[in-house]
Amino acid sequence: MKGLAPLFIGLFATFAFSWLGLTVIPNAQIGHLDPETNPQDENDMYPLPPSGMAERGRHVYVSNGCMYCHSQQIRPDYISADIDRKWGERRSAPRDYVFARPVVLGKMRIGPDLSNIGKRAPAEDANAAQPGASPGASPNAQPSPAGSTSSPPPAPNAPNKPAQPPPNQPPGPSQATSADTAANSGEPPAYSAAWHHKHLYAPRSVDPDSIMPGFKFLYEKRRISGETSADAVKLSGRDAPPENFEVVPTYDAKCLVAFLMSLDQSHPLTEVKNTAAPAPAAASPAPPASAKEAKK
Amino acid sequence: MDATELPLKAPQNPNAVQASDVDIVERALIDASTRVPVLMFYTSAIVWLLLGTLLAWLVSFKAHSPDLLANVSFLTWGRIRPAHMNIMVYGWASMAAMGTAIWLMARLCRTVLRHPVLIITGAAFWNLGVLIGVGAILAGESTGFQWLEFPPYAALILFVAYSIIMSWAVLMFRFRRGEQIYITQWYLIGAFLWFPWMYAAAQLMLFVVPVQGVMQAAVAWWFANNLMFLWFGAIALGTAYYMIPKVIGRPVYSYHLATIGFWTYAIFSSWTGMQRLVDGPFPAWMVTASIAAMILTIIPVATVGLNHHMTMLGNFQLLRYSPTLRFTVFGAMAYTVFSALGILISLRSVARFVNFTQVNVAYSHLGLYAFVSMILFGSMYYIVPRLVGREWRYASLIKLHFWAAAYGIGLMTLMLLAGGWVEGANMENAQLPFTESTLSILPYLRGRSVAGVLMAAAHFIFAFHFGLMLFGLGRTASVPTFLNPVEAEGSEEHIV
Repeated sequence: MKGLAPLFIGLFATFAFSWLGLTVIPNAQIGHLDPETNPQDENDMYPLPPSGMAERGRHVYVSNGCMYCHSQQIRPDYISADIDRKWGERRSAPRDYVFARPVVLGKMRIGPDLSNIGKRAPAEDANAAQPGASPGASPNAQPSPAGSTSSPPPAPNAPNKPAQPPPNQPPGPSQATSADTAANSGEPPAYSAAWHHKHLYAPRSVDPDSIMPGFKFLYEKRRISGETSADAVKLSGRDAPPENFEVVPTYDAKCLVAFLMSLDQSHPLTEVKNTAAPAPAAASPAPPASAKEAKK
Repeated sequence: MDATELPLKAPQNPNAVQASDVDIVERALIDASTRVPVLMFYTSAIVWLLLGTLLAWLVSFKAHSPDLLANVSFLTWGRIRPAHMNIMVYGWASMAAMGTAIWLMARLCRTVLRHPVLIITGAAFWNLGVLIGVGAILAGESTGFQWLEFPPYAALILFVAYSIIMSWAVLMFRFRRGEQIYITQWYLIGAFLWFPWMYAAAQLMLFVVPVQGVMQAAVAWWFANNLMFLWFGAIALGTAYYMIPKVIGRPVYSYHLATIGFWTYAIFSSWTGMQRLVDGPFPAWMVTASIAAMILTIIPVATVGLNHHMTMLGNFQLLRYSPTLRFTVFGAMAYTVFSALGILISLRSVARFVNFTQVNVAYSHLGLYAFVSMILFGSMYYIVPRLVGREWRYASLIKLHFWAAAYGIGLMTLMLLAGGWVEGANMENAQLPFTESTLSILPYLRGRSVAGVLMAAAHFIFAFHFGLMLFGLGRTASVPTFLNPVEAEGSEEHIV
């Protein structure tokens, strides 16, 4: 190669081409999206900005590297089993993430996809994502008939983990400890806040096959003073704290759970075909402007 | 004759004159001037390599034994995994690559290294940046973007360090002698120019004036892919273009092929980033463009591979003797395998199965280890004796290093590819519970841990051997350390 000028111009031009083509132009296309408002109902807007706790929870999620095992993106049904697995009702679209910062799409699925994990929470518990709601309140909020000793409620999680045995089965002798008598009255409903705390603290107490590490450092083991705290994690068997002790979530753990419960992409978007459920009538008049991006 | 030059003749490109006494003195002066800075880069790189290896081992074990050390916040899997990756990327591979690049530049510009203090300061700052960044990740300050986990304040230190090193490189290039710019220099200049651009662009678009939503992922993957191809890949390919002709004492087969290979590499591989986002929430054209670019990288792979092959032709028996050649050729062949795998897994029909599996891990290790790191090891085996004035002490240790590393990375890749495929097939079968896919990968992850033991052994052996050299305990001999006794076969003509 003769001369420096062609070399430097070439090096500059090739990289500028890639930079413009893969970051600047896409950013012009999908980098300035607004939440979508339902034309029939001004108050029905999606997505909504996250609560303060969920925002902080996102950082707990990132700092502990959850995205190295959990993705947050649903692929379309014609290319993947994501929707068959009931991880979502439609594919994810750029608009789902307008408030996500940092965005955690994830590149690995050592654990299941979490795009809609908040959606899977029992209805009564859904507002636990709001600051101040008590995550421990779920058992008495259960609407089912009194026989709540039956383990995981069938509705939301059944298609996902059919092989999961009732978590309470193996540790027979542990029933004797007094601390967990309250827990024996009923396992927290799957994907409720109480369930998340239990799962984060001792994953294998919820699913024996899980290979998720426990996040015990997000919880505090302390002596019970007076009554057991309302938000104490309901543990049994090997994971249970010693007598007169309880395990309570730190603020970070509560934020993390608030973030998880805020994950919900079930709201229809005009640019995405809803494959699982028929779209509500309101979604029919598609504004042409937003339909052209992320079609397909 | 200078002993360290035996039996390795200068490349007979038009630039290199017949080795005369003047040239030998000149080379000795150049090597002496690079001695402290390059050894500083190498020593730091090897210390980081050992740290990263220990972390890698922990990452690998925890993947199948999740309760191991799980209750300490800074040792949780989700923190040591990025710590390991960033140590390997910025501590080991970047520092080793910069050390090699500095030495190659000095040799190819035929000028002594001016102002070594600049470069030593740069190296010190770079180490500081990596240290702070890794500490921040372990403390829970990670930013969450692959290979960009260092928080912005650590990234800033790295950037300052890099600017210092870069300013030196400009200086050296300005004082170069000779008109011709050798192939290796194209790659090195490219890498030195592209790295600050991609790093600054990514930092700006992610943290200073952050882009919205999914664009962050696009920018992050654009960066990560370019870091692999246009920083590590470019330096490694440039090094191979120097080492292979140098060791066998024969010019590069074709300059013309090299030109084609270089420019197609620069154009196509810089466009491949988005294939990692296949079927994600992005406009389809972005992913499709990257898949097309990925397939087109077959052109640089074929031309570079052909060029190296034709240069080597008739000299393959030298692989028995020269450590440098053996590591470098392994790396150059791994580049072909790495690219072929990259093309394969970017196809939509394959990606639907492997997109979220351990195949990703296999792919990045093939690139960063089998391709880049092996070439860097090879260059160290060539350069270090010229810096310390001693030869490597034990041929057996070099052989152990090579075989443990080669079998280690080979076994690891096979385990992760096979396991990843099973994992992906189970994951795509919605009839099976999800845990089936995680359970099916466990035996393969245990196999990877075995491979990790091999690679750890290789690195500790190499570090020990390097330490001997550093403390002046190498051999004082007139010939380099060969892997096998040379007189066995008819390769005498290469000795003089």
